[in-house]
Amino acid sequence: MTRAEVIAKVLGLLGEEDLVVAADGAIAREAYRALDRPRTFYMLGSMGQVASIALGLAMTRLERVVALDGDGNLLMGFGGLALVGGLKPKNLYHLVLDNGAYATTGGQPALSRQVDLAAVAAAAGYAWARRCHASEGESTALEQWLAATGPAFLDVAIGADDPYPAPRIPLTPEEMARRFRRSLQ
Amino acid sequence: MSASRRLQALRRGGVGFVAGVPCSYLTRFFAACEALPPTAFLPAVREDHAVAACAGAWLGGVQPLAAMQNSGLGYCLEVLTSLHLMYRLPLPMLVSDRGAADDFEEHRILGQRTRALLDLFEVPWRESVIGGEEEEAEWLLAASRGRGGPAVLLVGPGRDS
Repeated sequence: MTRAEVIAKVLGLLGEEDLVVAADGAIAREAYRALDRPRTFYMLGSMGQVASIALGLAMTRLERVVALDGDGNLLMGFGGLALVGGLKPKNLYHLVLDNGAYATTGGQPALSRQVDLAAVAAAAGYAWARRCHASEGESTALEQWLAATGPAFLDVAIGADDPYPAPRIPLTPEEMARRFRRSLQ
Repeated sequence: MSASRRLQALRRGGVGFVAGVPCSYLTRFFAACEALPPTAFLPAVREDHAVAACAGAWLGGVQPLAAMQNSGLGYCLEVLTSLHLMYRLPLPMLVSDRGAADDFEEHRILGQRTRALLDLFEVPWRESVIGGEEEEAEWLLAASRGRGGPAVLLVGPGRDS
């Protein structure tokens, strides 16, 4: 599946009440294009902090929190895996869209080609962690991931090329934060 | 558990989530944090993760507080600028004030530039005084909410009350 297909599938599986944190770069832009919703927080910077922002939400909210992460992004903030695995919030669902590259900056190779991210998540203490290779039944894997007891981690392989990149999100950062917060009141 | 008047004052001011990395100048404060409910205290592995989690708590409708040694400000800079300052997310911070001339040398280079660093990013800051917990908690929460962003209370040696 492509990044766009995985993101559309995941957003389609969620309910209105679920909270989403979308990683800075292509993932946030694609999430906005696929299905803009008030309870998605779009990151614009702070690479490496997807899981940590999601953890702050998961600790303070009862709703399901879904982190849409990238492989390079996760590698930058690997300590976030220890935090989630150690604290074990049951409502946190961590997805890595793994293209083995830094797509937003020109496709430079990432170390996720050598490092088994799901094995690291499992060792850190996630209650459920799997890796899903290309054409290995991604749809089923995504459904199983969201049905598992959290914290649950799925590393899903996606294609590295990006023929139809999503444009920048036409909201100001302040609007993004205000809208998200207001949707919880 | 050792009582922390500072934590009590901040809790009364509305703080419902604390994330941080310990500093020996904040031993009493962190000891008191360990007695908080498990969903109200995040013992982070690095300061940038702590402040990012605080952003999540604020988005979730809970007043956060970050606590750390001033050396951790370096790790936080990208998150404070591209998350808290850019999205205008209030973040009160307790930051130890290490780096005086008689402190260990590993604390001096960043420690002696802590105020200049905060000024560079127009982050409001104050130094804590003995017995100032109540008033300082009020100031810290209000200062972070002013424009929406980080505000720092610097905690020097002997101020961890």
